[in-house]
Amino acid sequence: MYALTPSVDNFTIGSIAVKNRTNTPVNQIKPLAKNDPNSDESLLIAVGNTQDTNAFNQLFVRFSKKIFAMGMKLTRNEQVAHDLVQEAMLTVWQKAPLYDLDRGTAQSWIFTLTRNRCFDMLRKQKRQPNTISADDIWPTEGDGDAVFVNEERGSLEVEIAQIERFYSDLPEAQQAVVRQIFVLDRTHEEAAKALQIPLGTLKSRLRLGVGKLRQLIGPTP
Amino acid sequence: MTNTANFHPSIELLNDFTQGKLATGMSVALSAHLELCEACQEKSSELESEAAKSWAKVADDQVTPDFSDMISTIVGQAQNSEQESAGKQERPPVNEIHMLHHSVTLPRVLAKAASQGLVWKRLAGGIKQASVILDNKTQCEFIYMTPGSKVPVHRHQGSEVTLVLDGSFSDELGHYKASDFMVRTKDNLHKPASEEGCLCFAVLDNPLTFTKGFAKLMNPFIGYKFRKALAARA
Ligand SMILES: [Zn+2]
Repeated sequence: MYALTPSVDNFTIGSIAVKNRTNTPVNQIKPLAKNDPNSDESLLIAVGNTQDTNAFNQLFVRFSKKIFAMGMKLTRNEQVAHDLVQEAMLTVWQKAPLYDLDRGTAQSWIFTLTRNRCFDMLRKQKRQPNTISADDIWPTEGDGDAVFVNEERGSLEVEIAQIERFYSDLPEAQQAVVRQIFVLDRTHEEAAKALQIPLGTLKSRLRLGVGKLRQLIGPTP
Repeated sequence: MTNTANFHPSIELLNDFTQGKLATGMSVALSAHLELCEACQEKSSELESEAAKSWAKVADDQVTPDFSDMISTIVGQAQNSEQESAGKQERPPVNEIHMLHHSVTLPRVLAKAASQGLVWKRLAGGIKQASVILDNKTQCEFIYMTPGSKVPVHRHQGSEVTLVLDGSFSDELGHYKASDFMVRTKDNLHKPASEEGCLCFAVLDNPLTFTKGFAKLMNPFIGYKFRKALAARA
């Protein structure tokens, strides 16, 4: 049983400030991507970091035709596919500051973002109810944390001992991941390496573990 | 207490899901299962990165329109700050459903789907049903089987996806509990029954013919309003 106490600053319950791992400052980005200034990742980080229009130009050249192709495949409508290029590349530009290497490769980040924009455009085009959007169906890691952070009303004081008990109710695999991130304060990549599991596995376990903790802690009375 | 599902979506279905090929209702059912099932969530992230890789690999040799004049408009726009994007995350107003003597916490995507409120209709055999309109291709509904309820034998016209959210039920092919995800295709004879009671989310891909077939079983008390839950936060 590990004491969660040392990292209580990162893990206060109530207006539960689960540290948002996705906000890793850009200067802490792993050397990996810095190796090649022309990698998709370096370009995307440059766009997010310094609004580098040159880097954006290069990303645009690399991805716009691929986005168009995905649009044609999913919608079979040239006009919609054309609009998708505009929408998706605009989203790349706007969301670039939120990208970091913990979110995976740039191509997979742009792929999911394009899929999501396309999904929403199609729904809008077919005049479907807007109860659900693509971001609800494919939530990104970190969204759950953001919910916590923004939970301002009705803060709930939970004894550390109680959190520890909830934590020990988690399946072992999830405990291990929660411990890496919240007790040892590691990045997603470091934790995945330490546990020798793929990054995707780590992220899904973290999401489930944090989700379960939130459920055990329960709603504010 | 962990619920490990015994019934999961097929790889083909997960693959279509990660590529955005499915209708909204079906995507919501899959997303909800992934929220409850670690194994499928891992599988789905793998499929997603594979799909991204093969997408990025395809040669750009096709002639496409010239998009380059979009660039100047795009870079003229403001970028998102981190606060802005975090501020958008709101807890859906409904996140649990109260049933008889207990309540069920819904997966987040279903809480969002039910956020307009649920109107329950009473059907024959101790079944209650509340529809949610998510797209124009599928019929989506929450189904609550009261303890001891039995659905009369029926045959499906289209295919039906069922995700168990709470409790359990059985049919001639198996026993299903929370997190289980089943697909029943056309021509499956279907006779579900629940001893302990059961809450499910179901997606029917051929609502018109299904409704026709199912109408005979229905005993509609229109407007029967079931108590819907509000998030317990004041
Ligand atoms: Zn599964």
